[in-house]
Amino acid sequence: MKKVLLAILVAALPIIVFAQTQSKTVSGKVTAANDGLPLPGVSVFVKGNQTVGTQTDGQGAFRLTVPANATNLVFSYVGFRQKEVPISGGSMQVQLEIEQKQLSEMVIVGYGTQIKQDLTGSVSGVKAKEIENLPLPTFETALQGRTAGVFINSGSGKLGQAINIRIRGISSVSASNQPLFVIDGQPVISQSLGSSTEDDNPLASIAPEDILSIDVLKDAAAAAIYGSRAANGVVLVTTKSGKAGTTQISVGYYTGFSNPTHKRQFLNAAQYRELFTEAATNAGYDVAEEFEAETGTLDWTANNSTNWTDKSFQSGGISQYSISLNGGDSKTRFLINGGYSDQVGIIAGNKLNRANGRINLDHSVFNNLKVGVNLSLNKTVNYRVSSDNAFSNPLQLNAMPPIHALMDPATGKLNKNTLYYNNLIDLVEATNVSKQFRSISNGFLDWNIAPVLKFRSELGFDIVQLGEDQFNGRETLDGAPTGYSYNNQVRATSYNINNTLTFSKLLDKHSIEVLGGMSFQEARSFATSSSGQGFPSDKFTKIASAAIVSAGNSTETGFSFLSYFTRANYKFNNRYLLGGSIRVDGSSRFGRDSRYGIFPAASAGWIVSEENFLKESQVISFLKLRASYGTTGNSEIGNFASRTLYGASPYADQSGIVFSQLGRPDLSWEKTNQMDIGLDFGFLNNRINAEFDYFNKQTSALLLNLPLPATNGFTVITKNLGNLENKGFEATVNSQNLIGALKWSTSFNISTYKNKVTNLNGSTINGGSRQLGRVSEGQPFGYFYGPKYAGVNPQNGNAQYYEEDGSIVDEEDFSGYSQKIGDPNPKFIGGLGNRFSFKSFDLDIQTQFVYGNDLYNIAGLFQSVNGDYFDNQTVDQMQRWQKPGDITMVPQARLYEGNGSIKSSRWIQDGSYFRVKNVVLGYNLPKSFLSRAKVQSARIFVAAQNLFTFTKYTGYDPEVNATYISNVNLGHDFYTPPQARTITFGFNLGF
Amino acid sequence: MKKRYITKTLIIAFLATLSTSCDKKLDFEPKQSIDATTALETSADVKSAIIGAYSIMGGGALYGTNLNMLPELLGADNYIRWAGTFQSYRQVANRAMIKNNADVTRTWVQAYSAINNVNNVLANLDKVKDATDKSTFEGEALWVRGIMHFELVRLYALPYDNATPGANTQLGVPISKTAVKAEETAAVKGKRNSVEEVYTQVLADLTSAIAKLPDNNGSRANKYTALAFRSRVYLSMGKFAEALADANTVIANPKYKLSATLESVFSNKHTSETLFEIEQNDQNNAGTSNDGLTTFYASLVGIGRADLRVNAAFQALYSATDARGKDLIYVGVGARPGNLYTGKWKTFGQNIPVIRLAEMYLTRAECNFRLGTITGSTPLADVNAIRTRSGASPLLLVTLNDILLERQLELAFEGSRIHDLRRTKRATGAYAYNSPALIFPIPERETQANSELVQNPGYN
Repeated sequence: MKKVLLAILVAALPIIVFAQTQSKTVSGKVTAANDGLPLPGVSVFVKGNQTVGTQTDGQGAFRLTVPANATNLVFSYVGFRQKEVPISGGSMQVQLEIEQKQLSEMVIVGYGTQIKQDLTGSVSGVKAKEIENLPLPTFETALQGRTAGVFINSGSGKLGQAINIRIRGISSVSASNQPLFVIDGQPVISQSLGSSTEDDNPLASIAPEDILSIDVLKDAAAAAIYGSRAANGVVLVTTKSGKAGTTQISVGYYTGFSNPTHKRQFLNAAQYRELFTEAATNAGYDVAEEFEAETGTLDWTANNSTNWTDKSFQSGGISQYSISLNGGDSKTRFLINGGYSDQVGIIAGNKLNRANGRINLDHSVFNNLKVGVNLSLNKTVNYRVSSDNAFSNPLQLNAMPPIHALMDPATGKLNKNTLYYNNLIDLVEATNVSKQFRSISNGFLDWNIAPVLKFRSELGFDIVQLGEDQFNGRETLDGAPTGYSYNNQVRATSYNINNTLTFSKLLDKHSIEVLGGMSFQEARSFATSSSGQGFPSDKFTKIASAAIVSAGNSTETGFSFLSYFTRANYKFNNRYLLGGSIRVDGSSRFGRDSRYGIFPAASAGWIVSEENFLKESQVISFLKLRASYGTTGNSEIGNFASRTLYGASPYADQSGIVFSQLGRPDLSWEKTNQMDIGLDFGFLNNRINAEFDYFNKQTSALLLNLPLPATNGFTVITKNLGNLENKGFEATVNSQNLIGALKWSTSFNISTYKNKVTNLNGSTINGGSRQLGRVSEGQPFGYFYGPKYAGVNPQNGNAQYYEEDGSIVDEEDFSGYSQKIGDPNPKFIGGLGNRFSFKSFDLDIQTQFVYGNDLYNIAGLFQSVNGDYFDNQTVDQMQRWQKPGDITMVPQARLYEGNGSIKSSRWIQDGSYFRVKNVVLGYNLPKSFLSRAKVQSARIFVAAQNLFTFTKYTGYDPEVNATYISNVNLGHDFYTPPQARTITFGFNLGF
Repeated sequence: MKKRYITKTLIIAFLATLSTSCDKKLDFEPKQSIDATTALETSADVKSAIIGAYSIMGGGALYGTNLNMLPELLGADNYIRWAGTFQSYRQVANRAMIKNNADVTRTWVQAYSAINNVNNVLANLDKVKDATDKSTFEGEALWVRGIMHFELVRLYALPYDNATPGANTQLGVPISKTAVKAEETAAVKGKRNSVEEVYTQVLADLTSAIAKLPDNNGSRANKYTALAFRSRVYLSMGKFAEALADANTVIANPKYKLSATLESVFSNKHTSETLFEIEQNDQNNAGTSNDGLTTFYASLVGIGRADLRVNAAFQALYSATDARGKDLIYVGVGARPGNLYTGKWKTFGQNIPVIRLAEMYLTRAECNFRLGTITGSTPLADVNAIRTRSGASPLLLVTLNDILLERQLELAFEGSRIHDLRRTKRATGAYAYNSPALIFPIPERETQANSELVQNPGYN
């Protein structure tokens, strides 16, 4: 392969040399049209040949050597309208006009860029400027509330955990629903690599300050170029690159503190005694005796009072340091970024720190040949919190009776004589650390073979090394009696090659661009783990010191994709747009009988505002209609799902094999046909612009585990069987309300998705014995299904439920009838952002809302169940029924008797919320003040994340999604830690 | 112009080269598994598949936990108490199983999984060249198939009524004899055979196994293992003469002797007393936190959930000098301390005796007593052999009740409780021996996947 490339280079060399021979020099100055001030950093390049270019210096001046045949120069600068000027002799004086709307902005699309005005697909995104200095837990969360059609649920306040990202609904039942992440052209590892029950998030290692833009490809026209991997949408991340000019150094720092957004309220010691005395009496027990029998303590008659709930938390904080160097000349440009971020979570023991470095370098070898590399190296260290479902999860402390003492007076240590494990012992005696080293690096070559023909080649590597190290001392629940140590090493590698050839030609009123290319990706991951027990003392923590090496494991897996793709865009008379793309994807994941899939898409647009009848309109400055239809796939079906396999199954010391899977050789991708109709508006010289989209995604060939009679030896076979659909609207409105000295701009977006599973081959998928999530035909994915709680019988205090005929019966007579009792899918989501600036001050307020979704608190079975067992109860349980005639939703307290303790709608609540997500208030120090200190720019700011949350949900936080349970259980809460509210202060300095 | 043309050609050639060299790279083989088409090619492969079946039987769904614990829980009255939080076991202890009870489901699924794995062994015996190996593997496969069907029919169907031998037409479980490895056969909806048919198949498989199996087979099943199981099957059918004959044959083999103490049978591996035990070690066992006999039964420092405690009244049935009550039942010191627990299951990696010689003595005693014979020995001598080994005073006179009680005392916590009550038509608590409440439901997943399956009474 290398040889072939070399051969081409050698063969092509004479052309390049020939092209080098004649040139001339042009120079000039660029100023802003509105105030006449010079504009530094404007890119200047020869029309039709972007590689011949430079940037203006601090005084707005430029000087550029251009080929003799160059006729026009193009000037482009963020926030200004791009301008094309004929090359003239002498000094060129160029004035740029402020762009009211960024229609001429370039949008990153797969394997290229497009001018936003000409887009026929649906793409939304976030730019660096919008997210700088925000204390984001991970970069993807920047999309939350800022991008229509992108629903993000961080799940919990745990640092470095996987988060749910759903673009235009839920497109799969059993395969992944996460979008494809592509960084600088290469698909990167975004799915959990660790061994914990709850997924980690490999993307947590990516530094937000490295990112220039995040673009989300939503419809088929935009995404189908990624074929079988695009059904859940594609997130394209572009990192910053160097700009020619004097070296700019910027230094940033911020620091702050964080606390939980909200805490659930539990009984204090006095309330606890009151409720449980009553519960025991009602059930005919002596409460002190029972408490002693269950806990082995005499604490009922002691006088302790402990607020265990508060012990789950610690005061969190974040500090971030960053430095960036950026500069170069017309031949070589560079960017060097370095940063360190130290986050202390709000959950006891949770910490995450990240060190990151990046060098992005590009070099123009010749006028028409550019090479570059983007190198990054990051280290992430995560002190993890146990799974929600583990006794060692700090939030489970809220189950602890408040009448247990925190410390044991006999030993002076943390009290071990408690109803449940006192997991604070873990904070002292256990560690659980994940360390991840990661390099996402790539090299590229851009070769303008001819003015109309460009070749680009990219080769990228993504290498992740994850080490999980866990030690539990002998005093801990998981380490007793002699200590436990676990180590897991994972190496995941992916390499990716893209080669594209782009032909573009402007001919009269016709503009055409055709892209053709191929891509190959191979990813592998290796994992080795071992665990040991029996340590001489807690001072020995490594398995080398273990008396028993209790488990050892090594595994390997991998997949590959080979793809060919083409895309054509045609524009006629600046107003009629046509686009089409086809991708052919082959993958090792697809069954032998269906190795390759074809994924076409077509789109059209009409820029109505270019028509004569609208051209002169003073009101409507831009109007475009667009439509697209196409096919994408979901290939996250597991690496070997199509195979019938035997796996090893050891029998003590002997090795055996057993059937591990029954497969079908024609198993393939899931297929989504998506239609999108969009309308883009610009009013009043584009001071107000808006985008509306309607989409209809029909997904078929869903992978389903078809249940088989187990009597034949297999329980399921995976087949491409099911269908589901997502339909919805999206709207985005941006406006510049004030553009004078006081600037005020607003951005608003709102979107919906209506999900319906239309064919499951008659089967249903249930979430589990305590969970309510369910997937069945005719219903949205994950709707809540279970008994419907009807409150309390005022006569006897019994819990009541609804029967099928709508009648209400006491629990003892209840048939267990289950029905639809909720829906975790929101009716709509969105965000509202307002940005103000006045003189040197700026204020940015970004809010986010989710409306119409239900949440289910599984832990209600234990903590809001009117004293059924000795778990501490939520304060609302004090409203229990006490005497005939009481009207309440809380049944009579009865110890052990399960009055209202079956899973039901009793613990479902409305999960709607409105959140002031980010607020940044900044002040730019005056230049006059700065010049003396040799500082170019200085800014100080205060920022907040999750500042206020408005919700009716009485749990910790409405942005919740327990992940230890199966994926059909959306919006479930189980001792799940809340989000953090973070306030930071910081500065940026530019030299 | 010409040069440009050449360049284009070169680039196209380059792309083509790249693509052809990549096409092969779409072939990825799994590393932790192998394709079923190449899995059973040699004698060693077939042997691995046989061992695989043992590994399934050693899992928590079968002998690792459930085939021991579920029959115990079903007959928990005046015996043991479930104090744990696992709903599925609690339901069994309360005789209130629901159709999707997780343990009822997994035991069914795994038993049939073991059966299909050995059915595939039987279908691939032609790969085994050595005649002795072939006979051994075939015998083991038939033995596995036989005992799995036996365990299933005892739990998921109304009991075999020995009053009407040959006419037990009540629904049993589907008999599985097809080697399934593709969807076509895996999707076949089988019907429940009658209890009589299942027992007939079990006996046929075990009888063939006895003929095929060698006298010695290391830690795996041998001829005497199969004989002991067949004795158990006959006993549960009320065929006392046949049960007696098989038990007597096993006892007559000098290789098998009662161990000096009962405790040693559980604290050592492969004592002279066990006819078959599930092998476990520290790496491979039925579970150490949410599964496994030790997990549920033990209450030791750092070991066990102490979910199953022994009733004091049951301990009182042992005489004061009886090691089985005095030493093999202890006061818990780990989880849920202070209660009584069995000392048979105390370490995670211990082997699990599934059938042992003491049972053969008790079977022989019972059958001789019932038949009025003294084949091999007298009932009194057999019972006393068991009693004196544990320090209980020998009986002077023995009744049927004495023998049955001795069986309870000796085999406590080993998974025979409900089976012995049922075959002798004794009630447990408020439940008659043939109460439908003591029968597991056909798992809901199964009736949903197979419309031909009829649910057990009381579960519709």
